[in-house]
Amino acid sequence: MDERILEFIGDLRRAEVRISPSEALDALGATAEIGLEDRETFKAALASTLVKEARDQATFDRIFNLYFLDLEALGEGLKKALGPEDPKMQELLDQLANEQDLDLDEMTELLMRGQGSEMEMAIRSGSQNAGLERLMYFLQVGYFSRRIQDQFDWAAMERDLEKILQMLEAKGLDPGQLARIRNYLELRLEAFRRMIRQHVERELERRAWRQGEKLTREVLADKPLFALSPDEVAQMKTVVARLARKIKDALALRQRQEEKGRIDARRTIRKSLQYGGIPMEVMLRRRHREKPRLITICDVSDSVRNASRFMLQLVWSLQECFSRVQSYVFVSEIAEVTQAFSSLPVERAIEWALKGAPVDFHCRSDFGYAFNRFVRTELERLDRRTTVMILGDARNNYNDPQAWALRMIRERVKGIIWLNPEGQWGWGIGDSVMPLYSPHCNFVRECRTIAQLGEAVDSLVHQWWRRGR
Amino acid sequence: MFQTVEEVQQRFRDAKYIATRRISTVVYLASRMGRPVLIEGPAGVGKTELAKTLSEISSRPLIRMQCYEGLDEAKALYEWKYAKQLLYTQLLRDRIGELVANAPSLPDAVDKIAGQDDAFFSFRFLAPRPLLSAILAEDPTVLLVDEIDKAEPEFEAFLLEVLSDFQVSVPELGTIRARHIPWVVLTSNNARELSDGLKRRCLHLFIDFPAPAEELAIIRLKVPEIPDKLAEAVVAAVGKIRSLDLRKPPSVSESLDWARSLVILNAKQLDAALVESTLTMLVKYEKDLERVKGALDKVLADLPQA
Ligand SMILES: Nc1ncnc2c1ncn2[C@@H]1O[C@H](COP(=O)(O)OP(=O)(O)OP(=O)(O)O)[C@@H](O)[C@H]1O
Ligand SMILES: [Mg+2]
Repeated sequence: MDERILEFIGDLRRAEVRISPSEALDALGATAEIGLEDRETFKAALASTLVKEARDQATFDRIFNLYFLDLEALGEGLKKALGPEDPKMQELLDQLANEQDLDLDEMTELLMRGQGSEMEMAIRSGSQNAGLERLMYFLQVGYFSRRIQDQFDWAAMERDLEKILQMLEAKGLDPGQLARIRNYLELRLEAFRRMIRQHVERELERRAWRQGEKLTREVLADKPLFALSPDEVAQMKTVVARLARKIKDALALRQRQEEKGRIDARRTIRKSLQYGGIPMEVMLRRRHREKPRLITICDVSDSVRNASRFMLQLVWSLQECFSRVQSYVFVSEIAEVTQAFSSLPVERAIEWALKGAPVDFHCRSDFGYAFNRFVRTELERLDRRTTVMILGDARNNYNDPQAWALRMIRERVKGIIWLNPEGQWGWGIGDSVMPLYSPHCNFVRECRTIAQLGEAVDSLVHQWWRRGR
Repeated sequence: MFQTVEEVQQRFRDAKYIATRRISTVVYLASRMGRPVLIEGPAGVGKTELAKTLSEISSRPLIRMQCYEGLDEAKALYEWKYAKQLLYTQLLRDRIGELVANAPSLPDAVDKIAGQDDAFFSFRFLAPRPLLSAILAEDPTVLLVDEIDKAEPEFEAFLLEVLSDFQVSVPELGTIRARHIPWVVLTSNNARELSDGLKRRCLHLFIDFPAPAEELAIIRLKVPEIPDKLAEAVVAAVGKIRSLDLRKPPSVSESLDWARSLVILNAKQLDAALVESTLTMLVKYEKDLERVKGALDKVLADLPQA
């Protein structure tokens, strides 16, 4: 079974569920503790050791069902026949298997015991030489099912069944009882056949899925953001969530390493005064260095909507890395959405910023006007610890760029960062005023794809906020 | 120690806690594998209660560490009783005077005092906080680290170190190793994402709002005097209210409060007037209240009737 579980883990990893070697070992340990008798328990054991993010649960469920045969799906009747659920008949068979010196085929014994999980294992080992790696199309399912069936000696099983029935008859069972036993065992045989077929079908699904999944993910990370369909946007959300967490973990780790106690002489001496000048309590440097402040200004016009969505998601997830995050959105009018960001769950906060914020979403972008308004109302709130991060394509519809406003902001803050979701080759062409804005920025990056957005934010967190913060 | 998953389930039930198959399996595994359990889920679905019940059925004392912003190592582990140390030094001033009286030089005097460190930095002057209490405990305990997401990431990293080897070093006393590895339960409301390291170390358990059958069982268990049909109606109505996309959907604790107040009001079945007048038991935000009132017809449709 272990092999099967490891293979299962491999597929989870390919679906981007992060599983460390120690977690894989835990999964093996856990399943060894609880055994295979109960599918739900088995599943719970695997889930508790392998699924650590709520968002991975659905992936886990889907792949689990591809891997581990589902007796429920075989139908009520067969499931009953498979489990030792007809206690009286099962007792009879067990008795028979024990007391008589029967020489039965291994498979017959298995059928008599009727353990779904044992039968599953038998099918797996039977399919090892069946060349399943050549399975590609649905039409091949019948062929491969037969190949696996051929690994078992069905004639021997049939003979054994007859033998058993004869013995039972000799023991004085009446025809009614015999008929029920025959029916019972035949149902098991049938279940076994169907399990084989189910096994092959799942194997096929698993292969098809593996290839499809990998391909879409790779393509999506490098696809221009504006070209993503709603479905693809939904898929990328999990990718962005992972990205945010990676960045955060690295940050927390670094903070911990950097801030391990150094003595704070001033505070130690001050404290010692209350003990008559004896430094009874050694005071360490405050653990928390001031975290940086962040202001994000996001263009939410149609042309960059997807980019804004992901950027907002990143900002939402990284909120705790900053001591204060203020968020603004604009098309032409600019509005603060900070409140929604600190109080709503991520999806709703983004929806609100993209749809509900008090700005006119259908007018034409006017960066100059937005910056002008920002300077008029918010300039006083800026300070040297604050970084301003702007996301937008700087396509200003031939309005007045008012680059002076950016310069004024720049003078007040630690720096301005500009992420542009448009390819760099387009900057300055047509109504793009990027070349007028970039001289006032400390850090400018093209963010056409998720991969680029990730790299930009990653280097910001690790370099920009690292230096002197 | 539990022998089977079923046993866990039964014993929780006997202690008035409805544990699903999944919950029982994880608890069973934790006890077998000596791993902490990290429970995530919305407020009021019984995360804290699970730890308390575990302590009860295993007769292991519960040590609870409530996390909050600003919780640090000192408050979680131990603090020196400075005032007491100071008091002792003052009371013993004469003895200390004698000790250094015939020291030829200042460095010698300092050495002599330093030789007495052990007397002042001993367990007598140590105030253990929850983590150290769990490590020092004579008998096995259940350690509940409640709402770990409220503490800072730095604290989480520290906690992970402790949970990995259950030993801590107190510079003045040396390394202290746990006598028994406690059963550890951590809970989180997902105010913030926890680090990978911690998640890796723990068995993970999501508890969501219970399925109707389970919620019904919980209500029957905790509010036994409730009429059968009314309990069913409560579960159905709460289920519908949860689907209304509220800011804070009602949780198990709210269903229980509601059920209790309906019993006090001697209700036999739910109707619009009754629901409206008791709604504040279920939803707390003004906006949510309005929303539910607006959808009352839907909520009350096809409820089980007495
Ligand atoms: N499965 C259950 N069986 C019995 N009682 C339950 C169950 N789930 C919840 N309860 C009851 O619901 C109430 C809330 O539970 P508890 O305080 O443990 O929630 P919590 O998940 O810790 O919430 P929070 O996140 O707000 O701390 C308790 O009174 C508890 O008795
Ligand atoms: Mg709680």
